[in-house]
Amino acid sequence: MTNRLLQRKQMVIDVHHPGKATVPKSEIWEKLAEMYKIADVIFVFGFRAHFGGGQTTGFGMIYDSLDYAKKNKPKHRLARHSLYEKKKTSRKQRKEEYNNRMTKVRRTAKANVGPGKKK
Amino acid sequence: MAAPGNLAVLESDLQSAVTLLKNLQDQVMAVTAQVQALTKKVQARAYPTEKGLSLLEVKDQLLLMYLMDLTHLILDKASGGSLQGHAAVLRLVEIRTVLEKLRPLDQKLKYQIDKLVKTAVTGILSENDPLRFKPHPSNMMSKLSSEDEEEDEAEGQSEASGKKSVKGTVKKYVPPRLVPVHYDETEAEREKKRLERARKRALSSSVIRELKEQYSDAPEEIRDARHPHVTRQSQEDQHRINYEESMMVRLSVSKREKGRRKRASVMNSQLHSLTHFSDISALTGGTPHLDEDQNPIKKRKKIPKKSRKKTGFRRRR
Repeated sequence: MTNRLLQRKQMVIDVHHPGKATVPKSEIWEKLAEMYKIADVIFVFGFRAHFGGGQTTGFGMIYDSLDYAKKNKPKHRLARHSLYEKKKTSRKQRKEEYNNRMTKVRRTAKANVGPGKKK
Repeated sequence: MAAPGNLAVLESDLQSAVTLLKNLQDQVMAVTAQVQALTKKVQARAYPTEKGLSLLEVKDQLLLMYLMDLTHLILDKASGGSLQGHAAVLRLVEIRTVLEKLRPLDQKLKYQIDKLVKTAVTGILSENDPLRFKPHPSNMMSKLSSEDEEEDEAEGQSEASGKKSVKGTVKKYVPPRLVPVHYDETEAEREKKRLERARKRALSSSVIRELKEQYSDAPEEIRDARHPHVTRQSQEDQHRINYEESMMVRLSVSKREKGRRKRASVMNSQLHSLTHFSDISALTGGTPHLDEDQNPIKKRKKIPKKSRKKTGFRRRR
């Protein structure tokens, strides 16, 4: 199904694998890349096996181009394909730094203290 | 003394008669010219009709015959003959009846003829033409090229088939027209409906079905059919699956939901169905006892629920 608002084609993928365990995502991704000849703008996720095994259902999306994919995809999905690296600092560290900076400033100047502003 | 009066009337009539005759002559000349041109074209085979609709051909011929008979009659009448018992009159009546009988056929073919004419005029099929949505067998073939190399794997091959629906051009959303109907169902009517439903359910229960099988002469059918009773849980599951596939998200299953699902599946897998039969009191007239998979009708208290993120999915019970 074409989704013009998000510049992609989205589909439900049914995998039949009688007698085998659930097919890993990377394999399905490779197969789709072969079928549609484009490799870097395909994303698959949400695979759930049916009761009794043998069939798995998941979703797949093919974007028009890499730029659209970067704009429209949630970051953790991009990170799976190593298109995105998130910050390695933990939330606790970041909050501590922020609070420390806030204590040094008085009254209305506190509004100017941003998490990334005073680096 | 009527003669001069008549003469005056005759004179005025004469004027109009002469002008009318002149008009008639002009028109006749124009029509003759057109008919001659048409005849030339038909003889030059400009209008081939072998591959056309035979109904239209028949109508054409009938109309032509009608015209010929009519002109014959006019000629006879104009030269002073009487129409009494004229053979042409009978022929005209016959043709007229046939044309009248053809009219309903014409109505039935109207859609086809209109479509053909439109295609001939514009040269393309319209967007909503159902002939456009043919199946594409090439889409059903697997596009995997490396399938042959995987033949020597253990048991099954792993195949990935993508489900894609080809959508046409985007059309403007027209909301469905729902007419509100007045609700005045009395208690008695509700009771009757409930009884009807209970009777239907009882008739399709396993007890009655087995009785039917016992006394009928038809051969025994072993069918691999779905469970005839759609339980509430299976309906909810279906609703969930539809939502997930249309929204392309995965919903999380809460603990309560998990418990309900487990209970429903356990009930079907145990030997519960050996000893518990569905309720057929609607047919026997006894007191109804509830089926195990139906929830007892409880009155729900109005507890304000916290807003959830995925409110689109939750159905109000």
